[in-house]
Amino acid sequence: MQLIRLLAVFLVLSGVFAPGMEAGAETVDDATLRPLIQALAAENFDETTKAVSGLAKTGDARVSAILNALTAGDLYIVKADKAVFIGKRDGSDYAATDPLTGAKLAPVPRNAAEKIKVNNRLRRDIAAAIGGLTLMSDNPAERRSAAETILKTRDPESIALLDQAIAAEKDSGIKAVMQQAKAAAVLNSTAPDDAKIAAIAEVTAGNSRDALGLLTPLQGSDGPVGDAAHSAIDSINGKLALWNGIQNIVYGLSLGSVLLLAAIGLAITFGVMGVINMAHGEMVMIGAYTTFVVQQIIRASAPGLFDYSLLIALPAAFIVSGAVGVVIERGIIRFLYGRPLETLLATWGISLVLQQAIRSWFGASNVQVGNPSWMAGSFDLGLLTLTWSRLWIIVFALSVFAVLQLVLKKTMLGLRMRAVTQNRRMASAMGIRTPWVDALTFGLGSGIAGIAGVALSQIDNVSPNLGQGYIIDSFVVVVFGGVGNLWGTLVGAMSLGIANKFLEPFAGAVLGKILVLVLIILFIQKRPRGLFALKGRAIEA
Amino acid sequence: MITQWFFTHVDRRGAIVIALLVALACLVPLSNLLLPPTSALHVPTYLVSLIGKYLTYALLAVALDLVWGFCGILSLGHGAFFALGGYAMGMYLMRQIGPRGVYADPVLPDFMVFLNWKELPWFWHGFNHFWFAALMVVLVPGILAFGFGWLAFRSRVTGVYLSIITQALTYALLLAFFRNDMGFGGNNGLTDFKDILGFNIQADSTRSMLFAATALFLALAVFVTSFIVRSKLGKVLVGVRDAESRMRFLGYRVDRYKLFVWTVSAMMAGIAGALYVPQVGIINPSEFEPANSIEAVIWVAVGGRGTIIGPILGAVLVNFGKTYFTAAFPEIWLFALGALFILVTLFLPKGILGLYGTWETKRKDRIARKRSEPGSPATERATPIAEPQAAE
Amino acid sequence: MKAKDTLLYLDGVSVSFDGFRAINNLSLVLQAGEMRAVIGPNGAGKTTMMDIITGKTRPDTGDVYFKGEIDLTRHDEAEIALLGIGRKFQKPTVFESHTVEDNLMLALAGPRSAFSALFHRQSADEAERIDDILHTIRLHTKRDWLAANLSHGQKQWLEIGMLLAQDPKLLLVDEPVAGMTDAETAETAKLLREIAKTRSVLVVEHDMHFVRELDVKVTCLHEGSVLAEGSLDYVSNDQRVIEVYLGR
Repeated sequence: MQLIRLLAVFLVLSGVFAPGMEAGAETVDDATLRPLIQALAAENFDETTKAVSGLAKTGDARVSAILNALTAGDLYIVKADKAVFIGKRDGSDYAATDPLTGAKLAPVPRNAAEKIKVNNRLRRDIAAAIGGLTLMSDNPAERRSAAETILKTRDPESIALLDQAIAAEKDSGIKAVMQQAKAAAVLNSTAPDDAKIAAIAEVTAGNSRDALGLLTPLQGSDGPVGDAAHSAIDSINGKLALWNGIQNIVYGLSLGSVLLLAAIGLAITFGVMGVINMAHGEMVMIGAYTTFVVQQIIRASAPGLFDYSLLIALPAAFIVSGAVGVVIERGIIRFLYGRPLETLLATWGISLVLQQAIRSWFGASNVQVGNPSWMAGSFDLGLLTLTWSRLWIIVFALSVFAVLQLVLKKTMLGLRMRAVTQNRRMASAMGIRTPWVDALTFGLGSGIAGIAGVALSQIDNVSPNLGQGYIIDSFVVVVFGGVGNLWGTLVGAMSLGIANKFLEPFAGAVLGKILVLVLIILFIQKRPRGLFALKGRAIEA
Repeated sequence: MITQWFFTHVDRRGAIVIALLVALACLVPLSNLLLPPTSALHVPTYLVSLIGKYLTYALLAVALDLVWGFCGILSLGHGAFFALGGYAMGMYLMRQIGPRGVYADPVLPDFMVFLNWKELPWFWHGFNHFWFAALMVVLVPGILAFGFGWLAFRSRVTGVYLSIITQALTYALLLAFFRNDMGFGGNNGLTDFKDILGFNIQADSTRSMLFAATALFLALAVFVTSFIVRSKLGKVLVGVRDAESRMRFLGYRVDRYKLFVWTVSAMMAGIAGALYVPQVGIINPSEFEPANSIEAVIWVAVGGRGTIIGPILGAVLVNFGKTYFTAAFPEIWLFALGALFILVTLFLPKGILGLYGTWETKRKDRIARKRSEPGSPATERATPIAEPQAAE
Repeated sequence: MKAKDTLLYLDGVSVSFDGFRAINNLSLVLQAGEMRAVIGPNGAGKTTMMDIITGKTRPDTGDVYFKGEIDLTRHDEAEIALLGIGRKFQKPTVFESHTVEDNLMLALAGPRSAFSALFHRQSADEAERIDDILHTIRLHTKRDWLAANLSHGQKQWLEIGMLLAQDPKLLLVDEPVAGMTDAETAETAKLLREIAKTRSVLVVEHDMHFVRELDVKVTCLHEGSVLAEGSLDYVSNDQRVIEVYLGR
């Protein structure tokens, strides 16, 4: 990891420091530099190291190009006169340039030149040196990466340079990194105790995980520095635990949102209507396949619209799954009202048929549903890195929930739905066509399952078995939250999601899930009708 | 004496089935072992094992019917008890392999050597004895069922809620048994068995004997179920099925009755699993799949729940259909099974036997009413067999 | 304490469902051997009161004592039934897939454990008790019938028979004559008066003719508490009772 970042720094630097480019740092006359460059070709690495730091101390803008060439293995000496040049292979010769002026020299035959060797320690020193040099660069990205390099190498030599750079720095973000780097370097130096304690305070304020790495070696040392490091580590650990908790909650909310999406349609069909729909998972699956089909059509006819494919898939999935739901209700379920166990078996049969139908149609293996660009990537929140898809799922689940609440509370269909579920005979006596309300309610629940399928197609494998994975979880959520209570489903899904994420670190993902299931089984013993149960006579009748 | 005792507890139909099963247990092995393969009456070994497998399913179905058909508890997790019994037997068979495994470890089964385990986990001790394994076959499902039932029935979890938590139970076990560090062979389960009670498990004679044992255990299960159902306890169970709270107001501790029959049923399922494993030669976590448990429910529904023979008939018919379809038209099988679920619940709620049963009860009832009210026209009512679940 | 010497003693009982007070500070006392009729409009809390007495519903506050000393709120339905409180439901609930005889057999007082039920064999004494009850409820010719095939009134009687078989000290009877013909109603009143000779009975009924025929002390419930109590004439002349229930 570190290596890759170093490499990245070099790439940036070598690109920027092409010979002849104007750099903003000071210039030292060639006479001072020549001997130092010559010293790079010393027989042993210690000498070379000294030469590198000597070069770095000059602060000359051209130095970093030379050092870059050194690490890249492009710095050679002519065997005969020990002259140092930057070489590029060109047939049997090296195309040579002068390291200081960049002027073209006569090609040197390969057997007449010798490469200046570097080892890993030297590479590190060179990196630190380059870091120090580019601290004064005009380019903010360079300054930042230079400071970050020092933060990693913790080279005490660069303290003075850093002080200069900090004084000159305008950008507060980069300044903070520089201060961190300086503190890290101080901790690595032989600075007096009070300076180190100040540095400890400085790093503690910064990135906690990095700070922990800096401070842990100091923990063992005696005296005030050790104590300060110790208490700093304690406070950092506390902070990390807090962020760990926050991470669990956020990840739990995102898992909870998945559960909510899967369960919310069921909260209508099972919770409100009392129909045990074991084919609910297949409604989700149909929604996911609808997304696939929509994307196929877009890919074929209007690839430019791909980023909008999910938006187009949403209504499509709602309509397709909802229609399937209405057909199932009219065709089968309506004959089984009042016989919950039979409904359970018949809908299980439906789920088998739907799975096999999709399998015969699209094949048994996964289909590829693409992610639009706005779902890809991630962003930082404090110490957390969150993917956009995670965030979108949470937002989406909550909006579906909110819209559903609105539909139930504010629309005519919602009003009729509630009327029919509360008192069917009364509702029908008032002229509400209860069979249609039943069909539409079931269609609504199924359609919402289809919408959930659009979202789940982004984070899960889309295969004919997609629904099977969600059916037990969905029922558990609805039962846990309390049947007939949408808010219960919301709270149930979120608390199950969070409980899962908090159990995972102790028990592992699978065992955590088992534990949650066992806890639910025990919970249902205590409150057979869920968290937010309706009480009273009506429920028993 | 004994025959009289027998017939007070079993009706005519039950007696016929028991007699048939005992005859099967004798004749099939004889035909397989003694008749030459050219004979028309010879039963080939593959068929012996196939029917043996069907009969273990039938035993599972009888167990399920005992709780669903007679007590109204729809378990969607009976496959878990079946699989646990199977694992107990599998552990015995695994220990019997001894040094003949791939890694030739005298004590540790192959998968443990593969996982670099040094010692046998504590729960594998004792399974080198058949009697111990046999005990565990009934005890492990029994204790799990007892604990689960004690919690569930005491707090009056009924109906669909109970069905769903039984499904969650088997799902949790599925996840658990998939884990390698559970010590049950993880994904691959237990297999490569060599012999049982010293007999080669592949031998024709052993397979015939396993078949006979299955048929006899099924006969025993039919007897036990008849005994329970025809006792006063059985009538209480039906009462619980039809009007649970009424039974409570009569002073019956409904939870204990349910717990008793639930535990007995789980033990029967465990025995079925134990007979299944040596005949198919493998047990793995997929036996815990919730789908398996639900499939068992459809066997009972097809045959006719609340009858003793129905589940046997249903299990054999559906599984015969499955064997046929999955070989001939694999695409069709899930359509057929799904359609079976839908059609049976819609048009045949009492199963195949229910059709016959309805007709017969009507006839008996009509006779009874004719006798009690000579001359008065019998007031015909639609369903003499009450609708289970209708009351609650 | 006041509860002593009473058979059933309810004091300050309240229960609410989701904020709705079904029973509100209800107090009611029944002496041993007494028959009481409870009347009141729909939603007055009559059935909920029975639920509380039989252990189906736990009161939020208040005392419920049986025989002066047994706290019924600490027992569940089965225990309360075994203590000697029998209940007939508003909607007749008999075991429809059992015969009339088996219904009575299940109700018959005796051991209730699962183990004894598994090996139970009917004794001559039990057979005789069942015969007696069959005659009392006039179903002796239909003993082999499935209960599902009985008429509505016959089911009501079978349920009363089951109550008798339980041999309770207190009978709670919820609307026994709902859906009965006038003749059946009269018969039922006679039957209940007969039963009341040896036991205490609490009858909930809407049918005022039937209540008059019972000729016992009447309690009128309204909104979960007692509105008036006394003889039928006294109660039916009470202004408030007329207003909320009987109408003018």
